[in-house]
Amino acid sequence: MYLTPFQEKMLKGEFGWVYAKALEIIVRVGEALGSDRLVEITHAHVSGVSYSNIGEPGLEFLRDFYREKPRFRVYTTINPGCVDYGMLSQVIDNKYFSKQALIDEALVGMGGRPVFTCIPYYHRPPMPGEHLAWGESSAVIFANSYFGARTNREGGPLALASALTGFTYYHGFHDLENRVAKVLVKISPLIDNKPLSLAGLWIGENLRDVPMVKIREKPLYEVKALLAAMAASGSHALAVLDGITPKETYKTDIQETIALEPGDLEKYLGESPGPGGSVLGYVGCPHTHPEELIILRRLLKKYKEPRRGRLLITIPPELASTYSHIVRFLLSRRVDIALGTCPVVSVLKKKYDLMLTNSGKAYFYMRKIHGFKAGIAGLKEIVETIYA
Amino acid sequence: MRWKVKRVVDGECFGEPVVLNQYLSFFGEVDPAKGVVKTDAGEVGVAGKVLVFKGSRGSTVGSYIIYALRKNNVNPHCMIVKEVEPILIAGCVLAGIPLLVAEDFDDFSSILSSKKLVIHKEGEDYVTVE
Repeated sequence: MYLTPFQEKMLKGEFGWVYAKALEIIVRVGEALGSDRLVEITHAHVSGVSYSNIGEPGLEFLRDFYREKPRFRVYTTINPGCVDYGMLSQVIDNKYFSKQALIDEALVGMGGRPVFTCIPYYHRPPMPGEHLAWGESSAVIFANSYFGARTNREGGPLALASALTGFTYYHGFHDLENRVAKVLVKISPLIDNKPLSLAGLWIGENLRDVPMVKIREKPLYEVKALLAAMAASGSHALAVLDGITPKETYKTDIQETIALEPGDLEKYLGESPGPGGSVLGYVGCPHTHPEELIILRRLLKKYKEPRRGRLLITIPPELASTYSHIVRFLLSRRVDIALGTCPVVSVLKKKYDLMLTNSGKAYFYMRKIHGFKAGIAGLKEIVETIYA
Repeated sequence: MRWKVKRVVDGECFGEPVVLNQYLSFFGEVDPAKGVVKTDAGEVGVAGKVLVFKGSRGSTVGSYIIYALRKNNVNPHCMIVKEVEPILIAGCVLAGIPLLVAEDFDDFSSILSSKKLVIHKEGEDYVTVE
């Protein structure tokens, strides 16, 4: 791999072993993929933050770096941890509070912005063509597909290495020649009123090539759920969204056209809540966007309190203060609000018989991690199940 | 018999093959404390084995889970896959676990059902299957 004199110095350890180790990780991953040079990035997003995910090995890895007091060389945001920073949630268990504090101290101490969210684009939307090194699969695919930015699906440690060095390897989706949609996916009008998460789970599981997806006009939160689902059940980092993905940030070479019909998506609907049993309604995977909060406020206006189980919403801490009037209203309806975390990356205080969510990503992970039965539904159905 | 592989993360490796005919999200589908893969059919132990699967999917935390498998001493000796992506490579680089891409993966995984041992020597572009 070609390295500039500055990068050579960094790799040789002239700026300390932390930067040398970080660059070594990037160079070794890049060389394994056949990359011949590095590229400067403008924004790193670090995943692998939650103690309940990365455990002691991950904590020690981060603390070893932090002990040398390095600083991130580029703007860096931090993914959710396993603690509700609002301290109000009755669903999320803060049992790892002190362990999580050690991780947060290390990442913030190195210069990371304590946004603790999986929607870093809410804080800094990337420009089309901008080179990034992002972890968090749902954020990666959103950056590439919605904003036309350029990032691969970086593993947590590699995104951290890029935050420290300011570089990543030039390969994959950094190169326009690889951003080529090969399969056209048409979504039948018969499933137009269903959550787009369902289509996302199908695409993730069944397609390997970059898809081009034709969707009718949909709110941003539906697009977010669609992309997150395909990055969870598959390994997609880019889906060209017809009419949304900025032109000039992708190419097309359509080899195949697929029409998604209602029958294809049935298996992803999961379980429906029966007459008995406790239900956890869940919205906020990826973290809620303001438009979801506004819809939830409207849907909850006519109800006083939950009649069955709880409705959990996970939101970025900063959004909770910006939209504090909505958050206060939701709290008055006994919505359980957790800040800077989510049930996928945390421990829960109690087990529910069923989780009902609008998120294909949460559906994919919650069954595997917490052993929940799960189902997918729209926001209205979720609210009505818990409150009506 | 010998089978051609591409070395992604080179290294010595030997062990009994464990074949999973799927893509894996290391976060969610692998327990790094126990060294098991959680499949629909139940738990499959991978500690000290040669883990053969299609490739990685899902969470970018996967790299840390691979690293944790190593730190907890329940890692597979090496991984042989159909295709690689950055999350898997970063995890294997960090953990020092050899990662190989098998040529004609589908044929490779089907012959393994009757084999007991897979061996790879550093620097070689093939594995020996016995």
